[in-house]
Amino acid sequence: MWTLEVFKARAFRLALGFALTISVATATAFAFIYLQVSSADMQQVGAILVDEAAKSVDESEADLHRALELRLTRDIRRLDFVALIDPKGQLIFGNVPFLPRIPIDAKAHFINEVVFPDSHGDKDPAIFVARRRADGGILLLGRSLREDYDLQETLLRALAIALLPTILLILAIGAWFAYRASQRFKRVHDAIVRIMNGDLDLRLPFAGEDDIGKIARAVNLMLDEIARLLDHLKSAGDNIAHDLRTPLAVARAKLERALDNESGTEQLREALEAALVQIEKVSMTISAILRISAVEQGAREKQFRDFDLAAVCAQLFDFYEPLAESKGVTMIVDAATPVPFRGDQDLMREALSNLIDNAIKFTPAGGVVRIEARMAEGRPFALVSDTGVGIPTEERARIFDRFYRGERSAQAPGHGLGLSIAETIANLHGFKLTVEDNNPGARFELCATSSAPAARLARETA
Amino acid sequence: MALGNRAVVNPPFESVSNPPKDTLGGAPILVVEDERDLAEEIRLELQASGHPVQLSETVDEGLRAARSGPAVLVIDRMLQGQDGLSIIEALRAEGNATPALVISALSSVDDRITGLKAGGDDYLVKPFDIRELSARVEALLRRGGDARLTRLQVGPLEMDLVERSVRCDSKAVDLLPREFTLLEYFMRRPGQVVTRAMLLEDVWNFNFMAQTNVVDVQIGNLRRKLDPTGARRFIVNIRAVGFKLNVDA
Repeated sequence: MWTLEVFKARAFRLALGFALTISVATATAFAFIYLQVSSADMQQVGAILVDEAAKSVDESEADLHRALELRLTRDIRRLDFVALIDPKGQLIFGNVPFLPRIPIDAKAHFINEVVFPDSHGDKDPAIFVARRRADGGILLLGRSLREDYDLQETLLRALAIALLPTILLILAIGAWFAYRASQRFKRVHDAIVRIMNGDLDLRLPFAGEDDIGKIARAVNLMLDEIARLLDHLKSAGDNIAHDLRTPLAVARAKLERALDNESGTEQLREALEAALVQIEKVSMTISAILRISAVEQGAREKQFRDFDLAAVCAQLFDFYEPLAESKGVTMIVDAATPVPFRGDQDLMREALSNLIDNAIKFTPAGGVVRIEARMAEGRPFALVSDTGVGIPTEERARIFDRFYRGERSAQAPGHGLGLSIAETIANLHGFKLTVEDNNPGARFELCATSSAPAARLARETA
Repeated sequence: MALGNRAVVNPPFESVSNPPKDTLGGAPILVVEDERDLAEEIRLELQASGHPVQLSETVDEGLRAARSGPAVLVIDRMLQGQDGLSIIEALRAEGNATPALVISALSSVDDRITGLKAGGDDYLVKPFDIRELSARVEALLRRGGDARLTRLQVGPLEMDLVERSVRCDSKAVDLLPREFTLLEYFMRRPGQVVTRAMLLEDVWNFNFMAQTNVVDVQIGNLRRKLDPTGARRFIVNIRAVGFKLNVDA
């Protein structure tokens, strides 16, 4: 279960980190907007005042008075505060209760706390511009920043209000993704646990084409293969049990009958010998099973050597020809040119030997067994064909199954594992063993697949 | 069977001899096997062929017994979690060359190779016919025929290994190369039981059992060539075990 917890925690941590990062980024953006807006506002106000002061410098006192009155009342460019002071320092007109302490430099200056005439004693932040007139007098213009500050405050509040739900939304989305991911892991995990507990028909749930989906699909394919192998194993097990039980039952019956009767020495002897033949069958079957598993253990590839498949075929021809002859079967070998091959010579000889053995077994007198080895499209190729009864199409796929006994082999001697051994050996070498119709008879072909290790000789001649 | 049971060299004829048989004296055959039923069967079979048998069940016990000079070792590979091969390895390291037959339930050729590499002289896979084991022990007991011989003679059969010719009653017999090799194997083991598996392994290099009776057919052909009349059986069948070159034919 711990894996699930880890995934869960990890998904949530990821989501949390994601939400935090997005929140910080959003807040930074908001702060930037706020600072930009407020400083732009201040600058704009200052610029207006500087501009007003500049325009008013040359006007006559009377004109100025009128214009300023007008601006104060009509509020075109929002002057809150004006004062005209004559060169002697006397206030000519204006609405200020005091003069702010700013240099007379025609530039905007920020004063933090100013009591305005109609502000009932409240102190406001303000911007002032003082400029000397041509006659030596001073023009003072000022504006309260109260409204701007209020606007900024509103903006700040709005940003804060907007940021909160954004962060919450991000967290919620993160949590949802984390939940979904963890649910998905949980479903996969649950499926794995159920499969481990024996429910081999179950498959991992997969949705979508993402990485997890791909892995789930790969695991499912693997499970299909395992199920197929288990099925195979089970039927092989059943067949093995059957193949062992039959001769044992026969042996037992023979021995029991011999004991029951008042048999003479000769009859006892016959019964014992008959029982021994049955036990020999069991022994052969067990040897063959062990043989297959020994070959299947693989790990023999390190013993692979380059050798000539054609030479092996010629040897096998030499070995089996007398047997074929004694059955009245003609044997032909066509392996004149070397066929460089990389593999285990003993095993390959065994595989071919099983095929030839079968071919001779199932070919009636007057028939032909043919062995051939050559290079086909740059790869080693061997075939063993006969002119016997052949193998019905519907049986062809199954004849390599362990203990499968086709109709033609029902009465034949042997353990029925020869083809399985041959196929196992072929697979070990990256070869495919197939059976075709020889019209009449069967034709077994050994063809290299792309996974077959190439013989050094082959590479040189290629 | 006791008379003339030897590979004959010319000259001198007496250079190869077989160990004495049919006595319970002499060096025993040491059987290291922890499955008691099987060990008992092996003991009975070997004693029936006239050999004293000593049994051991563990690697330590077996190694101690092996140092006391048995004629042949029969060693199971799986001994209570230990590998019987270690006995052979220890002996070989001490310069002890007592012939050893390794028996095992492991059947892969790898095991055969490790078994032979470790100093085993022959290898037999379970389940085996007890007579197969007996024949192989016999072969190990008689081992030591001179590989440098150029002429072999058994009764009326003569073989020249240089000219690669065979004569029977001084008449030339025309053999195919594979038949010559087969006869040579028998003539190097006159009067000795040779199993089908031994022939497959040693003559044809097959480390597995062929399903059909190829060996019988080849031997039948050889027999006909040695004696077309069929009156004299040079190579006789030993029921359910194998064959023997009859020295008295």
